[in-house]
Amino acid sequence: MILIIGGTCAGKTEFAKKYFQLSDAEILDASEIRNVQNAKCIRNYHLLIKKLCQEQLDPLAFTEQLMQENPYCIIIMNEVGGGIVPLEKSERLWREACGKTSCLLAEHAEKVIRIICGIPTVIKGECL
Amino acid sequence: MMILITGGSKCGKSSLAERLLQNISENKYYLATMQPFGTEALEAIRRHRKIRREKQFVTIEQYTDIDKIQLPAHSAVLLECLGNLCANEMFRNDSIIFPVEKIMKNLKSLYSMTDILIIVTNEVGLDGISYSAETMQYISAMAELHQKIARISDTVIECVCGIPVVIKGEIPC
Repeated sequence: MILIIGGTCAGKTEFAKKYFQLSDAEILDASEIRNVQNAKCIRNYHLLIKKLCQEQLDPLAFTEQLMQENPYCIIIMNEVGGGIVPLEKSERLWREACGKTSCLLAEHAEKVIRIICGIPTVIKGECL
Repeated sequence: MMILITGGSKCGKSSLAERLLQNISENKYYLATMQPFGTEALEAIRRHRKIRREKQFVTIEQYTDIDKIQLPAHSAVLLECLGNLCANEMFRNDSIIFPVEKIMKNLKSLYSMTDILIIVTNEVGLDGISYSAETMQYISAMAELHQKIARISDTVIECVCGIPVVIKGEIPC
């Protein structure tokens, strides 16, 4: 499994398409919870976590299962924890769930790539 | 040695800080700066206290004025977290006090009693949202503190999804 993280519009999906030679059809937008088991690449995983939180499903348990069923998946998600703590409780819990889930994914990923200004930095695993 | 650990929410900063101090068993202090407001905070404090006792930390709760703490020489201190300390100093009265100079002075006095001081902080300026003037002042104070502390730290680490990314110095073995 490969994890790609970074801020909004930092060039994560463009990088994944180019480096892993993915077509648009191979990238599943994670605003859909279904079909994740078969996806080659899932983007917007932080939004999937939001959906799971809204449906009161545990994002960590969901992710554990996904990693078992789809162990070679490329997962793209935004870093969302670097701001002011949200006043709204649900926003706060979502943000914390994103942090915890990203730690879980990174722990099991063979490679973690962080994109800043479109530039990839490998923070876990072998260089590109 | 002074180490600054920064990062977003739930990215493994505390676990890393605790790991860095795991071989120290004596005079190891956890300086907690979060005031227990509300049930979420109380729950978090209860959980953390138990974990730290098992890891041989003595917990000191000090929400402001950290120069008042007296410790034996050569102590090891984990301060968590700078974000709370900054807010507590800033918003303790009706009028806002810009706390950077005071906190820097107090940190230096705390540091003089320690062999190792680990400061855990929070990135608060990366969400791009324009907040009220008070909150913008808080973000600015945090940014200034980060730069000043980084300058005098031996090591600065950013935690990203649980992975320590070293941005100054090196991780002590």
